[in-house]
Amino acid sequence: MTAPRMLRGLMAAALVLPLALAGCGGDDSGSKDGKTELTFFWWGGEARAKLTQQALDLYTSKHPDIKFKTTWQANQGYFDKLATLTAGSDAPDIFQIDDNYLAEYATRNVTEDLTPYKDSAKLDITKFPESLWKYGVVDGKLAGMAMGENTQGLVFNKTKLEAAKQELPKTGMSWEELIAWAQKAGPATKIPGTMDPSADYKAMWVWLRQNGKDLYNGNQLAFTKEDVQKWFELWKGARDAKATPTADVIHEGNETDITKQTVVTGKALTSWVWANQMPDIQKNTKDELGVVAYPGDPSAQWARASMYLSIYRGSKHKDAAIDVLNFLANDPEAVKILGTDRGLPSNLDLRAQVAATVTDPAMKASIALEDELVKKFGPSPAVPPKGHSTVKTELRKAAEAAQFGTATPAQAAEQFFNAAKAAVSG
Amino acid sequence: MSNVSVTTRPTQPRPQSGPAAHQRRARPARHRDDGRAGYVFLSPWLLGLALVTAIPMLVSLYLSFTDYDILSPWSDIQWVGLDNYRTMFTDDPAFWHAVRVTLVFALIGTPLKLGAALGVALLLNRSFRGAGLFRGLFYLPSLLGGSVAVAMIWRSIFDRTGAFNVFLGWFGIEGKAWVNDPSTALGTLILLAVWQFGAPMVIFLAGLKQVPVELYEAAEVDGAGTVRKFLSVTLPMLSPVIFFNLVLETIHGFQGFTSAFVLSGGTGGPVDSTLMYTLQLYLKGFANFEMGYASAMAWVFLLTIGLVTVVLFRTGRFWVHYSDGDD
Repeated sequence: MTAPRMLRGLMAAALVLPLALAGCGGDDSGSKDGKTELTFFWWGGEARAKLTQQALDLYTSKHPDIKFKTTWQANQGYFDKLATLTAGSDAPDIFQIDDNYLAEYATRNVTEDLTPYKDSAKLDITKFPESLWKYGVVDGKLAGMAMGENTQGLVFNKTKLEAAKQELPKTGMSWEELIAWAQKAGPATKIPGTMDPSADYKAMWVWLRQNGKDLYNGNQLAFTKEDVQKWFELWKGARDAKATPTADVIHEGNETDITKQTVVTGKALTSWVWANQMPDIQKNTKDELGVVAYPGDPSAQWARASMYLSIYRGSKHKDAAIDVLNFLANDPEAVKILGTDRGLPSNLDLRAQVAATVTDPAMKASIALEDELVKKFGPSPAVPPKGHSTVKTELRKAAEAAQFGTATPAQAAEQFFNAAKAAVSG
Repeated sequence: MSNVSVTTRPTQPRPQSGPAAHQRRARPARHRDDGRAGYVFLSPWLLGLALVTAIPMLVSLYLSFTDYDILSPWSDIQWVGLDNYRTMFTDDPAFWHAVRVTLVFALIGTPLKLGAALGVALLLNRSFRGAGLFRGLFYLPSLLGGSVAVAMIWRSIFDRTGAFNVFLGWFGIEGKAWVNDPSTALGTLILLAVWQFGAPMVIFLAGLKQVPVELYEAAEVDGAGTVRKFLSVTLPMLSPVIFFNLVLETIHGFQGFTSAFVLSGGTGGPVDSTLMYTLQLYLKGFANFEMGYASAMAWVFLLTIGLVTVVLFRTGRFWVHYSDGDD
């Protein structure tokens, strides 16, 4: 066989094979047996999978022409997979996303703008708190429907503290008071007092807002190098006073996996989390946990959309997908099934009903915190801009450099500030 | 590619009369079918090469000159020329940091691994009861290779409360959190790589068996001791095998990813101490949405490994001894 012939053969094969593969694999989203199949992708644990499947089954029982092909996995690796699916123009019709990534996807036009559906009431968000649904707006487009509400929560080990006759942390205590408390509670319980949250953007964010600053203002950083330095120094003081675990333990806690939080592993008395994660954390320890707001003035916290459901702009079944979103947020039965697993239900009427029937103590505690804070919540900031995921990573790197002592707080602050500035402007 | 030429050989020589051009047209149908059959049998491999390796590589070469961010549609891709490469070399401290980490990993890990492999191979190259069992046991870690499970076990062994510190505790030594400390995290990664010395060890063993016994006997007659025999007989005779292992393991060392990913939870931490080149490449592409830049990194990586291999081959001329043995 000559070279040109071989090439022609190869090219033909290269052309045919993808078609053949497509024939056996893809394209089953269409209308075999006249039904529409929607793909649905989320992260979470088994409990969430069970609840979500129940709610979707309920939808199918009411709309027999709609079927679901669901995929779920742990948070780690979720966004790699979502990005890869998107790159292949094969993103799911409906997918779960959070404020760390919403702007990344929305500014690149991956998500469908839900504004027209909202205006035509196909997607009813009139029962949502205004600040909550607006937290899904990116560049004037509604990029995701808030699928729940949460806020920052400081989880602490109630059992160990009570056994050692120590005070419990309270909402409204100052940062200095918390550190002083940790310095005292640590030796009494023989467990380091508080996890060091200096690598945690959401803790720094609350602290910045209490100091009249913010994390972002549009596509700009809303803080200075000096602010970050003060933040790092605050926690260097806490570490020096032995109010926190050692740097290597802090490093372990900095990893995102909820099951590795210091309060779960018994390596500190507290962890800095989102309030709706309480039940998940509680499942991993026998000790009873409690939750309060982050230190300082709680009005710096806000009602945050714990996560969103977004619709892929390239979806062939947008209207069907919108109806499903509407159902999951506003159908009394569906909302009851989903409970507070993704955060407090967005629909305020239904939220009250769900809250009244919750039995899980950890879930009750997180609802109680939000009920307490709801009157104090400050205005919501805008959704973090494109580049936020890099800012998060850079904060962790810089904070860890300060924690391990490879950089002074000033050096670490400078390193983070420059990297963060480049990330959001780039 | 050598596979192709070997398989096509039967169809090539057609020593018949007439000019070549005429021949091709008038080729008997049977011959053509033979060639075609060859390609049909080869087609899975050819398709694999084209679809899984060649085409994606070319696409990534193209992407390395663009600002591709993985999420935007292809129509939004902007050509940025050499910008990615320029940024990498002049304006990205993280890139150079990753290069340093990778060099330390490869330049320290590879010689240690080869040394361990050769040492154990020499020990196992004697006949004693259970030699086969030991060979199997020492090879086992290599089989587990780049597996996630091994990295996770490693992580728990070298944790603050891990088995290694318990062991140290027996001698009254207080260990530290080896994997979670920036000064030792890379060291535990290197140790993990060295521990998996089984593959080069097996190759060394095979090489040792090939050294003719007469050479040792002759050396003994000349009064050579154990060390002299090792330096003057074993090493020169083994040098082609050493060279082979060196090239393979160097490339392998540069490509380390899985263990660094698992031990650092995919971050390269603590404080970037395990930020291997391939891990930084992954983070750029998937966490920072800079796939064009990541593609450029991949090409710089490929060219660097190619260059290192060429250099190794060049220096090999001076120390690799190929005997013209007909034995």
